[in-house]
Amino acid sequence: MRDAHTPAPRAAFCRRTRREFLWEAGASFTGLALSGLLDDGFFARQTHAATGIPFANPLAPRPPMFAPQAKSVIFLFMYGGPSHVDTFDYKPELYPLDGKTIKVKTKGRGGERSESRAVGPKWAFKQYGACGKWVSDLFPYVARHVDDIAFIHSMTADSPIHGSAMLQMNSGKIQSGAPCLGSWANYGLGSVNENLPGFVVMLDPTGGPISGAKNWSSGYMPATYQGTILRSKGAPILDLAPPDDMPLEAQRAMLDALRETNTAHLLSRGDNSELAARIASYELAWKMQEHAPEAVDLSRETEETTRLYGLDQPRTADFGRRCLLARRLVERGVRFVQLYSGGAHNDDNWDAHGDLVKNHEFHAGNTDQPIAALLTDLKRSGLLDSTLVIWGGEFGRQPTAEYAEGTGRDHNAFGFTMWMAGGGIKGGVSVGATDEIGSAAITPGPGHGNGDKPGFHVKSLHATVLHLLGLDPNRLSYFFGGLDQKLVGVEHVEPIRDVLA
Amino acid sequence: MQAVERRFPVRPIPSTRVAHMMSGSARWVLGGIWAIVCGAVTAPRPALPVDFSRDVQPLLARRCIACHGPDTQEAGLRLDDRTRATAALDSGATAVVPGDPAASAVMGRITSDDPDLRMPPEGAALSAAEVAVMRDWIEAGAEWQAHWAFRPVVRPGVTGSIDAFIDAGLAARGLPRTPEADRATLLRRVTYGVTGLPPSEGEVRAFLDDATPSAWEKVVDRLLASPHYGEHWARHWLDLVRFAETNSFERDGAKPHAWRYRDYVIRSLNDDKPYDRFVIEQLAGDELEEVTNDALVATGYYRLGLWDDEPADRLQARYDGLDDIVSTTSQVFLGLTLNCARCHDHKIDPLPQRDYYAMLAFFHNITPMGNGGDQIERPLFEGPDARRTYEEKTADLERRRDEAQAAVTAVEHRFREALQREAAGPAGGDLDDLAFRFYRDAWRSLPAFDELKHEDEGPLPGGLFDIAAAPSLRPDNFGYVFTGFLKVPADGDYTFSLDSDDGSRLTIDGRAVLEYDGIHGEGSPKTATVRLAGGRRAIRLDYFQGHHGKGLTVGWSGPGFERRLLSAVSTAGRDVARDLARAIRAEGERVLGAEAMRDYNERVKALEQLKKERVSVDKALVVTEHGPSAPETFVFYRGNPHAEPDAANRVVPAFPAILAPPAPAITPPAGGRSTGRRTALARWITAPDNPLTARVIANRVWQHHFGRGIVRSASNFGLMGDPPTHPELLDWLAGELVAGGWRLKALHKTILMSRAYRAASTGIPDGLARDPLNDAFWRFDMRRLTAEQLRDSVLVASGAFNPKMFGPAIYPTMPQAVLATQSRPGSGWGDSPAAEQARRSIYIHVKRSLLTPLLADFDLADPDSSCPVRFTTTQPTQALGMMNGDFLHAQARRFAERVRREAGGTNADQDAAMVRRALEVALVRPATDAEVTRGVALIDDLERTDGVAPGRALELFCLLLLNTNEFAYLD
Repeated sequence: MRDAHTPAPRAAFCRRTRREFLWEAGASFTGLALSGLLDDGFFARQTHAATGIPFANPLAPRPPMFAPQAKSVIFLFMYGGPSHVDTFDYKPELYPLDGKTIKVKTKGRGGERSESRAVGPKWAFKQYGACGKWVSDLFPYVARHVDDIAFIHSMTADSPIHGSAMLQMNSGKIQSGAPCLGSWANYGLGSVNENLPGFVVMLDPTGGPISGAKNWSSGYMPATYQGTILRSKGAPILDLAPPDDMPLEAQRAMLDALRETNTAHLLSRGDNSELAARIASYELAWKMQEHAPEAVDLSRETEETTRLYGLDQPRTADFGRRCLLARRLVERGVRFVQLYSGGAHNDDNWDAHGDLVKNHEFHAGNTDQPIAALLTDLKRSGLLDSTLVIWGGEFGRQPTAEYAEGTGRDHNAFGFTMWMAGGGIKGGVSVGATDEIGSAAITPGPGHGNGDKPGFHVKSLHATVLHLLGLDPNRLSYFFGGLDQKLVGVEHVEPIRDVLA
Repeated sequence: MQAVERRFPVRPIPSTRVAHMMSGSARWVLGGIWAIVCGAVTAPRPALPVDFSRDVQPLLARRCIACHGPDTQEAGLRLDDRTRATAALDSGATAVVPGDPAASAVMGRITSDDPDLRMPPEGAALSAAEVAVMRDWIEAGAEWQAHWAFRPVVRPGVTGSIDAFIDAGLAARGLPRTPEADRATLLRRVTYGVTGLPPSEGEVRAFLDDATPSAWEKVVDRLLASPHYGEHWARHWLDLVRFAETNSFERDGAKPHAWRYRDYVIRSLNDDKPYDRFVIEQLAGDELEEVTNDALVATGYYRLGLWDDEPADRLQARYDGLDDIVSTTSQVFLGLTLNCARCHDHKIDPLPQRDYYAMLAFFHNITPMGNGGDQIERPLFEGPDARRTYEEKTADLERRRDEAQAAVTAVEHRFREALQREAAGPAGGDLDDLAFRFYRDAWRSLPAFDELKHEDEGPLPGGLFDIAAAPSLRPDNFGYVFTGFLKVPADGDYTFSLDSDDGSRLTIDGRAVLEYDGIHGEGSPKTATVRLAGGRRAIRLDYFQGHHGKGLTVGWSGPGFERRLLSAVSTAGRDVARDLARAIRAEGERVLGAEAMRDYNERVKALEQLKKERVSVDKALVVTEHGPSAPETFVFYRGNPHAEPDAANRVVPAFPAILAPPAPAITPPAGGRSTGRRTALARWITAPDNPLTARVIANRVWQHHFGRGIVRSASNFGLMGDPPTHPELLDWLAGELVAGGWRLKALHKTILMSRAYRAASTGIPDGLARDPLNDAFWRFDMRRLTAEQLRDSVLVASGAFNPKMFGPAIYPTMPQAVLATQSRPGSGWGDSPAAEQARRSIYIHVKRSLLTPLLADFDLADPDSSCPVRFTTTQPTQALGMMNGDFLHAQARRFAERVRREAGGTNADQDAAMVRRALEVALVRPATDAEVTRGVALIDDLERTDGVAPGRALELFCLLLLNTNEFAYLD
């Protein structure tokens, strides 16, 4: 399956003896067991130089606060805001209202309104699984997994505007500058694979989401915790591939010479472990060059697997490929993987203001089979037990039309659906509810990150994710600007207990 | 391996402190690994007597005060005040009994093994060293001292010098003085420290050859006079003021003229502008008696933060913007984290919530940020003559436009009259250059549309106000702003009528002529008569529609004509209204005659020409206020701006009470543009007796020379901050700075002339063993070049470096893969010519959502909030960028070309000569023969074994040099 742009995995590189000798010779002068620094796991260990000054990799694995249910997270981000009443939140009473003007308070891109024309759900719902969950015809593949899924039907967010709502779903705040969920996970737990980034983001081929890099920024935390963009084609990571006129053999020769030079420089500065760390970082980069392409190389996957993900179909090939990559990354210990379904603007993502049917048929059709395949594949490989899969967008959509004509729905942050599956999640349950037409959350009552309002705030979702990773959302803090900053904010926030296994 | 506890204490140590505890060693452990730091903190202290400010206060602040302090007093206990801490508690126990640790309940609680009793209840137990600190302090009488930073600066009696203070600290710890670093090291250190660039080979030679006693002083003076000094130190300031040239959020739109603020900082530093003046200009330059261009540009300070042009909650967004200003101002100028008191009293510092809002009141009258316009832009003039010329030119242009318009209108008038005699005349034609902006939201009355984001916009060539103009029209909840010019035939009185459903407002030449606001139906038109000059008068109509019925009817009459409509007659108005311009084109010749039509066409052409003409003028991004009086300010319950204001919570502008400040002296400046509140604040901040300002800036100057401040938490001088390692030295520096007229260059020189600055960075066993964190400054801490220094140094080595200063930002080529992460790939990013790209990094456009990857990898400050201390991380992605990235490869090629040019040497030893030259250029020192031999061997090896083309091998060797630790680190 490897396309021409993917660098071949470098199985072995064997011409290093002469330089290895130089390296060992250099190291012997320093009083530092430098060769040991390059062992597997160097970056995963806290160690210190002979002089007693400690140093460590901020991504070194750290034990969780309590026993975790999940080790990794795959966040399937349905950018633009999928309509909950057309997907997983079954509203039989909404169908007959189609075309009628109804009184309902809404707030979206088009401002606040108190009455509008209802748009009935455009797809039929059927019941699936032992739990009898109603799922629309948009997601026939995912529907077969409902017994592994916990649906949260009364999500709420603070903003019905893409930019700020995206920031909130990713970082908890409606303003930029705060670290993202993936940053917090890596800050709390570190990464168990030093050859791959701990927080990986894979974008839609149409482009990034609104606000671009702010959606995977580490904000006020060090850049170590920011998301790394991984491309499913070409060199997977920026600057990972050396240019063509620097062959790997030449690069290895240079790295050896560099190490030699830096070791000589270290001779009289042996107490400075930062220098030693920088020497080691070049070796680690070398290893990343080798391992990252291997992680994205699908040539060793069976045909059955690639078909499962829909790689043989033009509609599903791209998202399927990224879902399969997500599994491979999680398999290799990557802590947090985020995939975007949809990019750029308007109908390139789930933002169905005009023709809901066309938009959602397109995006659901591109993603349904791959998402189901991911769940199947994770489950059969045993990874689902330790991998939390999250599905959802930055908000949902209104039960009413936005324009005088057509089926398009405006944004809805008062109530929408997200679902989770895998590590620590109770399958086959649905928690929280919106009103009978899906316009706003009505249960549970206040107390879920929402002040005096009902429903589960984005903070509750974040608290649940951290909790499943073995991190106490109300204690995981980072001191910045004179305050202990937390992903979930100042007020105490409970995880969503009813979805926990 | 040191045994390290891993846990997540509830109250970790400030990240800046962590950064510096690791200073001189691996500083990539930031924030995350508290336990290492705790281990370091509790390392056995040398036998220094317990000091409240240094030892006890930070411990109380970190572990006790959140629950037993100003905001919360669990069990009735308060540990930030001696009277309260030593009083009997409800339980009968006494927490602190001065002189008697055994009787002090606190000792039992901090040493208890019982998890129900042990204090603090969360996080790690106090270490043995911490317990000892508490015991010794109680034993010694448990004296509290007012927090050091809130006390007045004390100028030490001794004729101080930096080295006297440093030596005293060394002696107290029994540490020897470190020898001076060698001259080459010193020159490299100081050249980077002052200018951010490496020394030239000539400068190295000159210094090494200068045997006079004043050689060092000459170097220091030369560097401080270099224009590169301003460029380098401006970067430190820009980190603090969260400088960026875009707004973040969905559009991440550009802030107009933001680069002028960057240039202002560079110029101010190079001119050695007194720091007090520098502060006043930024906070209140627009209110100065004489408003210079510098002073105007400086107020761009207020406009540099995040701004959401489409907030979900406008009121919340407004106060988030003010919070950004309060946070940044209090942290940057005062070292106070006043932002922590937005929602409740500060948990640790004696800063009640009232103080936050009393500070906010100074800024409350500031207009919100926008995309452009008078609210955030003002013209700049080189002097009064330039201003006069501009005003004259503008007036002249307007006059010519008016005349040209009158000439055109006169013909149109004749045409219309002639046509009216024939049949019904065409509507429209009275409005020119009409355009609409369309908004969507629900309102009860007209909003300030200019502060909102419009959803659509476009021209209205039909020349009629038309509420059906927007293509995405909807029945409810929308608004319009129409702008254009009213073609007034001649001077005279004109009567306007306005009817609308719902609210509307008609404005001509900036004056509201008719206002018919609120929710209502049509049927009762309002009328008004105004005197207008003939020509082109700016006209604007604001309109909003709530629910149900909608409509808009505007008409006018005047000398020589009866009421004519200015609005489309129905929502299908565009079809009904006949376009005067089209009519006159079709029938003009028939009605007016060929001659008159030719004349008319000439006049129209002349008018169109004039309409395009602009009087060019430079503009600045500035702060403005709503006028001379400010809105009332209230303390918001839990920081919620939607909370109902309560008269008891009203506050007036005031300085934080803990500093025992005077009442602000507020005088509105002449001109009526603003309140004068910001001037009062700026005057207090720069008052010589302000206890914080001089300490904070003196500490920052020290920080950037030594790699860490005397107070490591450079923007937090509060109780949670780090205590100064050399409090008397800090006060001495602060005192000298103020006494010397706030001149920063003098302060730099004082620091650079010290022996402490010139100390070697070499480790000595005593120092490493007894003071591994270098609290005593027993040596100079090594440090890595900053992101900008590294990039600039690569350009210098390659020879591509372009020293051009100032002006609009540059755009280095951004990798396609990075542009692809944008929702509109390439949007908001340019591609400057190669020579421009080779300018210093400070001139790179700062786009919040698209930071230059190489710089971001090397710990560029995140521009979303004030950054007092950068991280220093070491990550493999840095190595990837430095080994594989396009920029490095391009520069390595140039570097190799340069080396070939400059190497000389015969054919036989060409390689050796080139290698030698490359080493000299990159490392700015002579190369050793061994280094040359190794370099030649590598090139040889690359060519022979690894199949690299002959020329390419030299390039790769050059690339390697740019990757060495010696290149990237300063001794």
